[in-house]
Amino acid sequence: MAILKVNSLTKYFGGVAALKDVSFEIPEKQICGFIGPNGAGKTTLFSLITGAIRPSKGRVELRGRNVTGKSCSSLVKMGVARTHQIVRPFRVMTVLENVQLAVHFGRQGIGRTSHAKERAMEALNLVHLDKKANLLASVLSLGEQKRLEVARALATSPDLLLLDEVCGGLAPAETQAMLDLIQQIRARGTTIMYVEHDMKAVMSVCDRITVLNFGQKLAEGKPDEIQNNEAVIDAYLGKAHLGDER
Amino acid sequence: MKPAIRRLLPQTILPLALFLALLLLPAVGLKPNVVRLLFITYVWTITSIAWNLVGGFTGQVSFGFAVFYGLGAYTAGLLINAGGSPYLGFIEAAGIAALASFLIGLPTFRLRGPYFAIATIGMTEAVRVIMSNLQITGGASGLSIIEHRQFRQVEHYYSALVAVALAVIVSMLIARSRFGLALRAIKQDEDAAAALGVNPYQSKLWVHAIAAALTGIAGALHARYHVFIDPSGGPGGVFAFQTGISILLMPVIGGIGTVWGPVLGGMVFGIVEEELVVNFPNFHLLLYGILLILIILLEPDGLAGLLRRIFGLVRSSNGNSKS
Repeated sequence: MAILKVNSLTKYFGGVAALKDVSFEIPEKQICGFIGPNGAGKTTLFSLITGAIRPSKGRVELRGRNVTGKSCSSLVKMGVARTHQIVRPFRVMTVLENVQLAVHFGRQGIGRTSHAKERAMEALNLVHLDKKANLLASVLSLGEQKRLEVARALATSPDLLLLDEVCGGLAPAETQAMLDLIQQIRARGTTIMYVEHDMKAVMSVCDRITVLNFGQKLAEGKPDEIQNNEAVIDAYLGKAHLGDER
Repeated sequence: MKPAIRRLLPQTILPLALFLALLLLPAVGLKPNVVRLLFITYVWTITSIAWNLVGGFTGQVSFGFAVFYGLGAYTAGLLINAGGSPYLGFIEAAGIAALASFLIGLPTFRLRGPYFAIATIGMTEAVRVIMSNLQITGGASGLSIIEHRQFRQVEHYYSALVAVALAVIVSMLIARSRFGLALRAIKQDEDAAAALGVNPYQSKLWVHAIAAALTGIAGALHARYHVFIDPSGGPGGVFAFQTGISILLMPVIGGIGTVWGPVLGGMVFGIVEEELVVNFPNFHLLLYGILLILIILLEPDGLAGLLRRIFGLVRSSNGNSKS
């Protein structure tokens, strides 16, 4: 069964269509990649699904329930969480407090501080930040801040996790660790939507891939199908037949 | 020192000792003028603590706290004139101010940053003009408050002291709670907080209401003591823009975003303000202007930050001499 169903989702910024008539379904417990050139509408799509912005048109359904235009915080309580492409830690809070907040206000809304701290530490353990729990978030490196971003989203106990370029700017070893983490999260039963520019990363972890271009859906399928899709190659590399004409 | 005691000392034992000392103070036979000065300082301190909940913890800079101060003052004044108990009047003042905070907050908290601040200026001026023209409260000529009980200065002193203690306790509880954690998150990045399940709009409305209630009590204390209130007669007017500025100034002087900074700011401001206004009717405005610029430039964490820095220096130099 599909956990998420998106129907002809459209978003205009002024007169420009950032996203136009995009429809797809996300099956449960899969890792679904979203790729496309810069400005293709990937982050806009994530912002629409998580309620950060409202669509101009279209419908978003979570487990059959219409959630179009619901607020960010209420969607978190229904099990939808995201990370941000540009990390947004609370800089003058400790790493632990950053995650603790997500435990308190996430889906389970755990009130007791001691319990919430325990749960926050579990999330930090998972991303290997447990030793930095009592540091201010501002002193973390970019790679660590990306992991904090993931730990915070996880701490809200989501069913559907939207990861926006969590590997961007990471060293190769860090990227591999992050990809392992993504698979680990899925193994726990969380469905993942994953935006990334690093093709190798996307191809290696995703079960399915959707390609966006100029705000529209260009292609959809398994990673190897996408790799051999002519329309996709055109969008990324220019005309596929350019080589033949020489 | 045992670690448990060291941990409890700043948070409970010291404030409790201070509270007891202030409780016993009138018994040593202070001059009425000194008791009056302390009373006024307590009233200012309450508003300082209240403003800090919204401006310091949550980062929403409001110029409009005179509205709650004034509404508290008028609510208590009218109720006392109708023959009600002044203490019931304090509670109703808190209620009316909190109610008003929702009416003001519902539209203005849709705005962010400087736009919110500007909107609060508009709100407070609108309320001031309305109150200056409202006939049933005496309009611009003010309201005399007649309490059919004997005036006992010590009673005023104690009610203000208890109200300050209440404000400090509220501030401490919020600072330690998950609600306080959410407020700090909202201050730093509202959208990131929302992405973790915090509802920034609702949280702001609630903290605004708590702050308004405390400010309303302060206004009520002021009204009952001074027997006469007017909406905007110079700096003393309860709805005057200047009043809102004073309320904002204290936590900034003391150090915003902390529990004790605003208390410190309120104490310093209350005492300095009274002495200055008596001696130099307009000079204090210039002084505050200069002080504000200095604080923002040199010590954004206010007096609390300055003290922390001094203690830090003392401690580290002690450590050096021992080693």
